[in-house]
Amino acid sequence: MNDASIPPEYPQPTRTPANAPLLDAWARGELLLQQCEDCGAKVFFPRELCPACWSPRLAWKRSAGTGTIVSWTRIHRHIHAAFTAEAPTLLAEVKLDDGWLMIARILAKDGAAFASGTRVEPVPMPDAARFPLPTFRALE
Amino acid sequence: MASSDVGIIGYGSAAYDKKPRQALFGYLGEAGRNALASAGLAKSEIDGLSIDATNTPDTAVTFAEYFGFTTGWSQSGSSGGTGALLSVARAVKAVEDGHAKYVLCIGGGAQDVAAFQKRVTRFNTAIADYLMPHGFGGMPGLFAIIQRKHMERFGTTREQLGRIAVDLRANARLNEAALLRGPMTLDDYLGAKPIAEPLGLFDCVMPCSGAEAIVVGPLDRAPRGKGVKILAHRERNNHPMGEVAPVSGGWEVFRDELFHSAGYGHADMDFMQCYDDFPIMAAIQVEDLGFCPKGEVGRFLDVHRLTHDGSFPMNTGGGQLSCGQAGGSAGLLGMVEAARQLRGEGGARQVKDAKRGIVSGFGMISYGHGLASAAAILERT
Repeated sequence: MNDASIPPEYPQPTRTPANAPLLDAWARGELLLQQCEDCGAKVFFPRELCPACWSPRLAWKRSAGTGTIVSWTRIHRHIHAAFTAEAPTLLAEVKLDDGWLMIARILAKDGAAFASGTRVEPVPMPDAARFPLPTFRALE
Repeated sequence: MASSDVGIIGYGSAAYDKKPRQALFGYLGEAGRNALASAGLAKSEIDGLSIDATNTPDTAVTFAEYFGFTTGWSQSGSSGGTGALLSVARAVKAVEDGHAKYVLCIGGGAQDVAAFQKRVTRFNTAIADYLMPHGFGGMPGLFAIIQRKHMERFGTTREQLGRIAVDLRANARLNEAALLRGPMTLDDYLGAKPIAEPLGLFDCVMPCSGAEAIVVGPLDRAPRGKGVKILAHRERNNHPMGEVAPVSGGWEVFRDELFHSAGYGHADMDFMQCYDDFPIMAAIQVEDLGFCPKGEVGRFLDVHRLTHDGSFPMNTGGGQLSCGQAGGSAGLLGMVEAARQLRGEGGARQVKDAKRGIVSGFGMISYGHGLASAAAILERT
């Protein structure tokens, strides 16, 4: 095996005090997300202050992780070599059942049927740990 | 000095390149010199400077050093594709308030596709930390999600959106400065290689090098019929809040105020120069600015032609989709084309008897969509 056969690593988020609980939980295959203890807003991406009411009291809550694809794309042309090697890849707007909204990568077998409205769940361990951020797959 | 007495008195462009033939300074200076020539001003008369440039640590103050200006008013971008557009409106206010007499507003960039893609990887914190790790594919990945939502919610088709790319290319074929001037049919558009489904190659703006410039000053300094007034302008940032892939962009919040303040209605606009980084965003600007109801731009595109001689002239120089997106110049491309048209200097692509038009900007793409929207209504003197 030569070096060219080793795929480049995924770009990583910069770790900050605000996002460390998210990153650490996901490395264990868990989905921890922020909710404002004052106004109840479900916050993603992680912040120091609630973007709705500016309260600093953002608590980390465990999400069930199941959700629905709102809209999506199959990406053929990437701007980072790690993904070029895996193209085409899927990216989607995901609405989690417990309220959070995010853009995330979706794993699906090549040519697998895919559509808005598809139900998804987080990729389980040990695969989850390969991905820097919460990543989903079609619910089976 | 009242705002009705201050406006655009000159404009100019630098020649565009797919790969930079000179450094950023060269592009900005070339556009600035051409704008001064258009205004009939000497360099020594400029006492205000706005620079909207990408990938540079320099500001309107250090650019003043480089170019040899002493300024009483300066502004450095950028709020992305709205920044340079708004710089012109803010320069009018600066001249009204007596901070400067003549302001040069320049936007530009020196880049090629590879340099832009490298910039996108760290475009802002949200993109670097929460989209790059997913392999978001650059800006096309995000606009693909928005376009699919528009298609599925409203029945908009690729054939309808393709009219924007095809008609703007027809405009570009009459503009020698456009980088992309080859003929394009709807079949060419539909058959282009996929980039991020449902987007194909001709949905995606080409990053390039170039610059655009506007001179703001007392309108009585412009030759007769060559001054352009800004009747009204508005901006809205981070609206709608909390959505990641909205099918509207913020223009809908201020459009009634914008037209009311300008004193004209939609039917009084002789053209629209919008921010066409992707056809879906041009389409959303048509809706949000009220030229058709939300969700009905597909039918609008069925019945209107967007060519300079069509029923709804849009981006009469070919827009970014055919001219290329030269970093900070993209926010001025529409303003410069509007000034050119309102001065009757559009040449082969002149909109007949163009009296007034609307210019819109869009930009600062972050977590899922562009955050900045702006628009201005312009009128010839």
